Formats: sequence, C-alpha cells, structure tokens
Amino acid sequence: MAWITKNSGSATVARRDEPYLTDEMKAKAEREILPRFPTKQAATIPLLHEIQHAYNWIPMQAIEELAAYLELSASQVLDTATFYEEFFLEPRGEYTVWVCRSISCELMGQDKILRAAQDKLGIEPGQTTPDGKFTLMHVECLGSCGTAPCALVGEKLHECLTPESFAKILDETK
Amino acid sequence: MALAQPVLTKRIPTPPFGNMADRKTVSYEQFVASDGYKGLHRALSMTPKEVVDLVKASELRGRGGAGFPAGLKWSFLPPEDGKRRFLAVNADESEPGTFKDRMLIDFDPHVLLEGIAICMHACRLDTAYIYIRGEYHHQREVLEHALKEAYEHKIFGDGSMLGKINELSPNCYIHRGAGAYICGEETGLLESLEGKRGWPRIKPPFPAVAGAFGRPTIINNVETLAMVGPIVLNGADWFKGMGKGRAEGVPASVPASFGPKLFGISGHVNRPGVYEENLGIKMSELIERLGGGMRNGKKFKAAVPGGISMGVLSTDQYDAELDFDIGKKYACLGLGTAGVIVMDEETDMVAVARNVARFFSHESCGQCTPCREGSSWIYKVLSRIERGDGTTRDLDMLLELSGSMGAMPGTTICGLADGTNWAVRTIVNKFWGEFESRVKKERYVSLAVAGTR
Ligand SMILES: Cc1cc2nc3c(=O)[nH]c(=O)nc-3n(C[C@H](O)[C@H](O)[C@H](O)COP(=O)(O)O)c2cc1C
Ligand code: SF4
Ligand code: FES
Repeated sequence: MAWITKNSGSATVARRDEPYLTDEMKAKAEREILPRFPTKQAATIPLLHEIQHAYNWIPMQAIEELAAYLELSASQVLDTATFYEEFFLEPRGEYTVWVCRSISCELMGQDKILRAAQDKLGIEPGQTTPDGKFTLMHVECLGSCGTAPCALVGEKLHECLTPESFAKILDETK
Repeated sequence: MALAQPVLTKRIPTPPFGNMADRKTVSYEQFVASDGYKGLHRALSMTPKEVVDLVKASELRGRGGAGFPAGLKWSFLPPEDGKRRFLAVNADESEPGTFKDRMLIDFDPHVLLEGIAICMHACRLDTAYIYIRGEYHHQREVLEHALKEAYEHKIFGDGSMLGKINELSPNCYIHRGAGAYICGEETGLLESLEGKRGWPRIKPPFPAVAGAFGRPTIINNVETLAMVGPIVLNGADWFKGMGKGRAEGVPASVPASFGPKLFGISGHVNRPGVYEENLGIKMSELIERLGGGMRNGKKFKAAVPGGISMGVLSTDQYDAELDFDIGKKYACLGLGTAGVIVMDEETDMVAVARNVARFFSHESCGQCTPCREGSSWIYKVLSRIERGDGTTRDLDMLLELSGSMGAMPGTTICGLADGTNWAVRTIVNKFWGEFESRVKKERYVSLAVAGTR
C-alpha cells in the first residue's frame, strides 16, 4: 500500500562518517546512468537500486546523500523510495523470500507454500529470521502465473512449488 | 480457424507447432538467420510516414490491455520540432494472470528490439526506455545481453543504421521498476521513469503530446512492438488475413480484431502456458486444445478473460470468443491482456473476489478517493462474507461500492478503479447465488425507519 505515510518529522537519522554513496557509485552514475536522461531526478530509481544492491537496504543517510547528489530535496527522494515495494528503508535479511499471493497462485495452492515457508523459517510475512538470513514477504503477481504457485528467493524465481520443494529450496539457499 | 503458422512464436517452440521443452533464448545470429531484422531493413527503405501508414493499415491494436490502435497512436504525435521525443516500452507486466511479455523477452528478445527500432524510425523518437518490472531479474539480464548485441550490430548507438534522429544517435535503455502495479499504467510509468512516485497523470495532455520529461512520447506494450517487425516485413494484408477480422456490416472506422495474439492460460488446466492463436478463438477451444483440458477431470466453472481487471466469464460463457469485442458480448470489461485464468467447479468465488479486491486495494496508488477507500472497503466486506459474518445487505453494498468506482467518468484518474469495479461486480453478479448462500439473511431496518433514538 504505497500511500501509507509515516510521520518522519521527529525521526532521528542514524549517521556514519563514511558516505553510503561512494565515489565508485558516482563514477558509474556519471558514466552509465545520468547520460540516459534529460533530468537528474530520473536517475533516482536506478541509483536507489545501486544503493540497495550494495547495502541490501537504503539507510536514511543514503537518501540524503543521493538527494544532494541529484540536486533534489531529501523529501523528494524519500517520497520516491517509500512508494516502491522493492525498496527497504530498514535492514532486512540476506535473502528476501517473496511468495506470490495473487489469484492464479492462490488457485494453485499458495497458502500451503506460504505455510511451508512460515514453518521452515519460524516467521510471519514481514519478519526476518533471528539469524538475519531470510526476510519473508508477500508479493502480488510475479508474472509467472502459468507455473503457479511461485516465489522469488533473492533474485531467483522458483516455479510450480510444492510445500516439500519449497522447504528444500529454502534449506539449500546459502 | 486455428492459426496456420506461428508468428510471434515462430522462434519460440509452442504447441501445436513445437515443444515447450525446446525453448531457448534466440541469439542475434539465430534471429537474423530466421528473417530477423528484415522488417527493420524494409522499414528503413521507407519514409517514416509510410511506416506509420502501414501499421495503421494493419489495424494492429495495442496488446497491453486497452486495445488502442497502434498506428493511430503513432499518428497523434505532433510535427517534429528538432527536439527530443521518446519511446517508453511497457514491460511492467503486473496484471495477475499475465505472463506473455515475460515469454517474449525470455526467448526472443530481438523481436522486441526490432519493433522498438522500427517505431523509433517511424515516429522519429531518439531514445527508447524499456520499463521492465523490478521482479523480472532473468528477463532483465536477457534483454541486457540482447541489447549489447544490437548495439554491436549498429541497430542503436553511434553510427546506428537508423541514422540520426532529432540530431541524436538513437539509444535504447533498460529501466528497472521497483515493484508497483500502477507503474504499468502509462502515465504512472512516465512519472516513475522521471524518478518520482508512480502516480498516474490527469489526461489530457496525452503522452503523445506531452509525455516523458514533458516531450512527445509513445508508450506501447512489449507484444504490440514485437508484432511490428513481422507486419512491416509481410504487409498489412498478411496480418489482416489472420484473426477474427471485422464483422459484416461494421464500418471500417470501428477497430476490429485482426491478427494473432498471445494467450496466457493459468489456473486449473493440464497444460498452462503462453500460446499463440487467432483473435476470436473460443475459450473452450483454448482450454481444451491448447491448455490440455481441465485438470483432474473437473468441470469448468469460471474464467477471467484477460487479467483480473477484466472481470469474469460465467460457467455458461465457456464458449466465449476471445477477441476485442468480448466486453460487449459477454458482460466483462474487455479482452485485456488475454491472460486467461481458469477455475474449476471447486473454486470458491467469494475467495476469488476477496483475493482480487485485496490486490486492487493493495495496488491503488491512493490519489483518488473512490479508488483508495472503495477498494479497501470492498476488501473488508468480502473478507467478512468469506468468514461467514456477512449479511444480505453486504451484497448490495458490494455492488453499490464497486459501481461507484471508476464507472463515472472523471471521478478517478486512471483505469485501476474501473478494473476493481468490473472484477468485483462481475464476480458478484455472475455468481450471485453463491454469495447469497454465504451470507446471513438478516433484515435490516434502516435508521430512517427506526428513528435514531
Ligand atoms: C492500472 C493499469 C495497469 C496497467 N498495466 C499495464 C502493464 O503492466 N503492461 C502494459 O503493457 N500495459 C498496462 N496498462 C495499459 C497501459 O496504460 C497502456 O494502455 C499500454 O501500455 C499501451 O500499450 P499498447 O497500446 O501497446 O497496448 C495498464 C493500465 C492500467 C490502467
Ligand atoms: S484510479 Fe486508483 S490507481 Fe488510478 S490514479 Fe486514482 S487512486 Fe491511483
Ligand atoms: S498470480 Fe502468482 S505469478 Fe501471477
């Protein structure tokens, strides 16, 4: 639900000295990303992806650094970052498990798949395992309805799942 | 009549012409060896206007959901002014039940790139962005590789065979989304491309006039663009020789259902997958001949014709013809993406409605009150009915609520509200008995009668 907003006025931002937006990232942005667009703002989503790829989440300080770099206000970048479900503004597990819950997957038994993941990992959707390895998430249609039920583990799609095959996949994910 | 020859699945083995197990990503060399990029070369021997006219003559309609004639859209562009113009390729594919663009990109990425190049030449667009949904990780890699091949062979980039467009070298970039259904809506996509939240824009102005970065922009679906190469190569009449065509007595100004189409089949069938058939194929035939029939010998109960926004077809609409006129004939919103979701006799339609309502309430972008509030309210009411706590009045409320979403022009910005309306209303209406049997038959005395005390 992209339009749920949080009160950020009183939030404190954890800071560190070392910048999140590294010189390498900036060099890559100048080489590959910024030249693609007529505006700097258009590089927001590609660079949020870069940051999340590097740190596995997007710290508030990184949003401020990105805003400064793109000559935007921090709230503009935050506005974009909070809209999209793939961006995590809080730390998450090493692997994010996205279980599709849309109609074709539900018809093909996604409830059992989700149950298997919950049992295996001992967490509910939205939570992270205590060892920090997995974050379990619901997701709407993954565009793979012909091989339902399906789930993404990290960047890998797993199709035609059964509770047993899914438990095995989670076991084997290192 | 069955499709005589595969068109978009020419290089993607698909029953009845091939075996799905033999599918492999087609490389640049393999693509060229099987007539690939011939359409582009032909287009480059024509003037841009001739190409637009050819696509117009083919009456190719958009395959992304709305079915708008592609050539007509292209002809809405204002005259060139020497400044930049863009192409946004809609590869967001997030409509539940839809997985056809994924297949095209997975196995034949160059057929898309060829269509993109032709469109850029015809419409004088200097830059193309392929907006691909964030979850398509493998597809992104396949496209990146194919794009590299295309740059090496001077389809795009400096020294491109397209020459200079708007005094620039034509470029094509992949732009990754980040998980939001609404970014499939064309103006939501543009906002997202510009680095903002994906809030659809009020139209007009239409993107062809003021789109990405305030400049003229064409937005087309992956499958629409993939069809352009074969059309330019083989001609408009060849394309119009396939599909349902135009019914007798219908004037030529009314868009018809020409050509083949990719149909996705998911749900309770033996062989789900993406198949190519003539527009107008009967759903029963699609399910039986291509989908391998109903799973476990069960009976057919309902199906979604093309992505859940389109609503459902009831048990007695099993023989519905899947073409662009489906909406009028079978009381649903339309053909949509032709992602058919099949449900057998054991399916709980209340649960289906609840799932669908949850999807829309989750994906509503929140700009318009009827959509934001209506969808979550509908979801709550349906959850209540599913739990067994619903009353007869809830059913009326469902119809009233959904009927007030999007149906009244001007009350919502984009089509998501309308999709919610059609999905919920057709399920409730077409399976009324099932909903009625699930609610308590309480009689309500309105406050107006009882007094407020
Ligand atoms: C809520 C909503 C979601 C949409 N999602 C998609 C999508 O994922 N992919 C797509 O091609 N079109 C989608 N569309 C349709 C686009 O707005 C647009 O009509 C289409 O991309 C135009 O391309 P076409 O004319 O080639 O079909 C969506 C529309 C709405 C209202
Ligand atoms: S109709 Fe719904 S999804 Fe579309 S702009 Fe309005 S609130 Fe957003
Ligand atoms: S419904 Fe799960 S992938 Fe489409």
